[in-house]
Amino acid sequence: MSKRVNALVLTGFGLNCDNETAYALNLAGADVQRVHINTLIKGEVHLKDFQLLVFGGGFSWGDDHGAGVIQAVRLKTNLGRRILKFIADGNLVLGICNGFQTLVNLGLLPGLDGDYQTRSVALTFNDCGNFRNDWVSLTVNQESPCVFTHNIQTLELPVRHGEGKLTADEQVIKRLINNRQVVMRYAGADGEPANGCFPSNPNGSLYDVAGICDPTGRIFGLMPHPEAFNHFTNHPNWTRLKEKHKRQGRQINTEETLGVRLLKNGVDYILKRSSKIIQNFKE
Amino acid sequence: MPHRLEIALKPDLSDAEGENLRQKAQNYFGIELAQVRTVHILTIDADLTAEQLSKVQTDIFTNPVTQISSFAPLPIAFDWCIRIGYRPGVKDNAGDTAVEAIEDTLGIRFNDREAVYTSKRYCLKGNHPNFSHDRAIVEKIAGELLANDIIQQWDLYSSSGWDSEIGVGFIVPKVILDHKPAVLTVSTDSDAALQKVSDERNLALNPKDIPTIRSYFANDDVRQQRAAVGLSDPTDIELEYISQARSDHCNHNTFQGRFFYRASANSQVEIIDNLFDTCIKKPTLELKEQKDWVISVLWDNAGAGRFDDNHYFVITGETHNSPSNMEAYGGAITGIVGVYRDPLGTGKGAKLVMGGYGYCTGPRDYSGSIKPHLHPRRLLDGVIEGVRDGGNKSGIPTVFGQVLFDDAYIGKSLVFVTAAGIMPAEVAGSPAEKKRTSPGDLVIMCGGRVGKDGIHGVTASSESFSADTPAGHVQIGDPYTQKKMHDFLLEVRDEGLIQFITDNGGGGLSSSVGESALFSDGCAIQLEKVPLKYQGLDQWEIWISESQERMTVAIKPEHWERFHTLSEKHAVESTVIGQYTDTGKLHITYNDKTCAYIDLDFLSSGFPQWEFDAQWQTPADRGLYEPVISSPANYNELLTDILARPNVCSKEWVIRQYDHEVQGSSVIKPLVGAKRDMNSDAVVIRPVLDSEKGLAYTQALLPWYSAIDARSMACCTIDEAVRRLIAVGTDWDRIGGVDNFCWPDIQYDSLANPDGKFKAAQLVRACMGLKEICTAFQIPLLSGKDSMYADGHLSGSYNETHKISAPETLQFSCIGVVANITQCVTMDSKQTGDRVYVLGITRNELGGSEYYAHFGYTGMNVPEVYPEKFSRVYKAVNQAIRQELAASVHGIYRGGLGIHLAMTAMGGDLGMNVDLGKVTADQVHHDDIILFSETPGRFIVTVDPVNSEAFEALFNDMPYACIGEVTGKTDHFIVNGADGHLIVDIPVSELRCAWKRPFGALV
Repeated sequence: MSKRVNALVLTGFGLNCDNETAYALNLAGADVQRVHINTLIKGEVHLKDFQLLVFGGGFSWGDDHGAGVIQAVRLKTNLGRRILKFIADGNLVLGICNGFQTLVNLGLLPGLDGDYQTRSVALTFNDCGNFRNDWVSLTVNQESPCVFTHNIQTLELPVRHGEGKLTADEQVIKRLINNRQVVMRYAGADGEPANGCFPSNPNGSLYDVAGICDPTGRIFGLMPHPEAFNHFTNHPNWTRLKEKHKRQGRQINTEETLGVRLLKNGVDYILKRSSKIIQNFKE
Repeated sequence: MPHRLEIALKPDLSDAEGENLRQKAQNYFGIELAQVRTVHILTIDADLTAEQLSKVQTDIFTNPVTQISSFAPLPIAFDWCIRIGYRPGVKDNAGDTAVEAIEDTLGIRFNDREAVYTSKRYCLKGNHPNFSHDRAIVEKIAGELLANDIIQQWDLYSSSGWDSEIGVGFIVPKVILDHKPAVLTVSTDSDAALQKVSDERNLALNPKDIPTIRSYFANDDVRQQRAAVGLSDPTDIELEYISQARSDHCNHNTFQGRFFYRASANSQVEIIDNLFDTCIKKPTLELKEQKDWVISVLWDNAGAGRFDDNHYFVITGETHNSPSNMEAYGGAITGIVGVYRDPLGTGKGAKLVMGGYGYCTGPRDYSGSIKPHLHPRRLLDGVIEGVRDGGNKSGIPTVFGQVLFDDAYIGKSLVFVTAAGIMPAEVAGSPAEKKRTSPGDLVIMCGGRVGKDGIHGVTASSESFSADTPAGHVQIGDPYTQKKMHDFLLEVRDEGLIQFITDNGGGGLSSSVGESALFSDGCAIQLEKVPLKYQGLDQWEIWISESQERMTVAIKPEHWERFHTLSEKHAVESTVIGQYTDTGKLHITYNDKTCAYIDLDFLSSGFPQWEFDAQWQTPADRGLYEPVISSPANYNELLTDILARPNVCSKEWVIRQYDHEVQGSSVIKPLVGAKRDMNSDAVVIRPVLDSEKGLAYTQALLPWYSAIDARSMACCTIDEAVRRLIAVGTDWDRIGGVDNFCWPDIQYDSLANPDGKFKAAQLVRACMGLKEICTAFQIPLLSGKDSMYADGHLSGSYNETHKISAPETLQFSCIGVVANITQCVTMDSKQTGDRVYVLGITRNELGGSEYYAHFGYTGMNVPEVYPEKFSRVYKAVNQAIRQELAASVHGIYRGGLGIHLAMTAMGGDLGMNVDLGKVTADQVHHDDIILFSETPGRFIVTVDPVNSEAFEALFNDMPYACIGEVTGKTDHFIVNGADGHLIVDIPVSELRCAWKRPFGALV
């Protein structure tokens, strides 16, 4: 039994964050394969060889009929059962931006009552009426079961989307909150939720929701891009931080970014799980 | 029978698209609307069962959380409904992806006649009862906000005229060409006869070329060889091929022309034979000899330089002016997606890593009586959105750009697009920058299919804009199709399958196959193999069509199977359309019948060089002078008013809608500072993620100086671009340039172009300036393009037309390597107590400045570049950054010292206190001159006091001065005049407020 974590990053059909997602996952300690959607559909690569499946950012099929819609249809038609089995086997699924949009259209999120096929949440056009690239502050729900956000309280990441406003029936939102499935929320500079204020909340998302997980915490979707914070120089204020630290006789932290940490949490979860399995196996 | 699915957001959800239209109607035309709701329409022209229709409706096209849909018209209330759909043959990207989704979901294949067409209808409700009678207002919204007649059709429905059963009916914009393709033979009896054919067919042949063309086809040997393949006089496809290749767009006849230049009315004629050879090629080749990092220049689709031992970067810049002036969105998206094919077609193929943009349009609030085809505001909106979708959907960060306004651009607005890529130094063991075709190689067309779109685009951009410009050359780029092709081609490249690759841009197959066949010295093309969007295209149309998203690739026959397998994996269409040969001939057949047979070397032989009279008139001869202005008293207001001028103020709204961080490589972003809202001098990316080397990019545009002297314009533009790169920490000796000239027509005509000789002289002088500065700064020109005919003929109030020429414009882009990205610096002040330095001398150079423009003056003292003196400072700045002595570095650009000190302060969100009396100046004592002169070669640097000694030591024998300090008092941006009196004291927040005043509300 391998102790490595194998991550699969989908590519093709207009997806475009696969390189940096693979790079950041690598920094997080995973072995990564970028796999074309058609290769997976044809069965030339098998999901069973992986423990982490990543739906990354991009404009799948041009996103002309709603972001992530056609990707979801395509995957449901051709891979639906294989993906459900992958989840049932206890593996991790991460959806970033277009990947998050795809997860909600597949019904993998929010996965209320273990139903992984019904669409009950949507990511729709930003209230500001346009695509927007900006860094946002995020506050993380410490009580969420999400395995990716362990030990992260707040972080900053870039958003880059035109359709990131999370919307759903009031009842659904309430259940997400009560189930602690709301993993992260857009926040102001003070770290408190943005309360709908633009641009801290960049898209008008209900309850400032930036990312949600399923009830198990193993499926996680978010609009911000952790893979785009893979190096300390990605941060918009790094030159200021560096200068500030210098004046205090310190060095700026050039080690692991919070973007990579988030991915590493997922990798570590799998490692712990497999060491448990190995232990069980020995016993 | 077609089916029509209407989709809308649930009534209780806000409709961002409708709301956007409502606000635009209000802001642009003062039309008050109560509500706008959008209905998306899919017209499915395919034979589907009720069950199949229901499945695609629920499974694909209706989101149960947010949407409602129906195959009958949705009952949404309105006073007026505007339906908008594409004209037949216009690229409908969403329609194409709908087909893919339906096919996949139902497990069926559409036949050739089946398709999906998208359209929309907007349901408008007014604020008062009269609205339902005001057809004219709704027509204005439809025609001037929503639809462009060139690509779209629209209809209006009043609520009383609406049939709730029929709705908008079934509109199927299918192309039906009831036409049997045929090759025509063209008689060449006389020059006049051929000229007539050229005019009738829109060939845009230069009259001087006509005798050369006729004599070729009259040559006995040629006629004999042609007779052997069944040809006599030239065919239409041959003339189209010649016309494309000889167009100014492809052949750069202007830059390769012979100029008779006179520096003043009385001076001797100086003959400059070929501006390109003299001012661009020669200096660049000399620099290539000296600089081993220059890898490949002047022959390929883009230039290449070394990034590190294992990678090369490539860069090129283009303009897409004519199409963008006709259809702003379509022109711009086609422009950016098109320029992305250049790096992809450079060497054996480069991965795209960034894009840039430059827009020059009329003022956004233009209200003059002369009517441009599109109002500048609408044109700019469309251009911004076109580049947004083209860049974002390509997954390539759009990292840097500029937006300029000037009345003179209403004749022809300019759209610059730049692209850079990265490739491994070696591909499958051979040099990545080299490529050639060999006899026997297959000619493959990859990507999109061929339709009538884009026909005569090249020749149209070689003419001024007029009512006769064929609208057919406007198209809509498809980044989705191209992204698939990009991923596919990089995979086949890495497997070593590519012998040669180039893009299908201007001139289509005619250019790409014609040029690639020069390497093997021949090709044989079977035109019937080219996949078409619809039947009925003539052979010549297939050959020159500029349908987008296509590359031409040469591979060995034995690699076809693997190539084809990967092509299918990526869902990209690839077709073998012929073979390269060594016959010396371009040989085209259609169903085995020859329709073109022409010597490939014909184009490089015997055509007459274009000639231009170039007559310079000095600024003094033209009566320019320095205005007489006394020193202002209210500097607070003057400073904030200049900060709020359209060419100075914040344009954050453009930058934020461009994804500038995809690929995870961002180091220095376009917006920096404490509040992340100031324009960075340049951007830096980390294109190879596991390397700490960076690629820095920037550009400059200073067309206003051309009003005095285009030479100064060129020199200052290059200096600014270089200085911008230096400011972020780019290595001095690793900078390359890209020159993009946009010039009005320079061919003198006493009636049509009476100042043609002057404009020609301006071009000569700009090229001389380019040569001088690039040689002195040692900047090789990695790539460049020229776009002539930046003129428009626009109608005025009395149905008369006016020729409006754009200012002589050079966009200069610089790219360079940063040895260590962790040493990069931004422009924002960092810490209270830091010293504020100004490097360089300030001179009385207000000619063409923003300050003069504020008062309506031009002036005469245009800024001058002293490359030897400046470069010493630049090298020292480079050193200061490498030694980490500078907390912030910012160049002094448009607007001058006062404006850029304000930007440094706004960037840090910190106060500042400076004394103008300390600024090193050359015989300048007036505060307004010190504050607003645009003397090049200068920087503002803030330095930690503990580093100031070491910092100053680097500039020992150079002009510099410490003029004040950064303070913690954000309520006080303080400037003391040369005589010691306080002249500016204003809160930084007010500076920011003024700077954001014009466009701050736009998103």
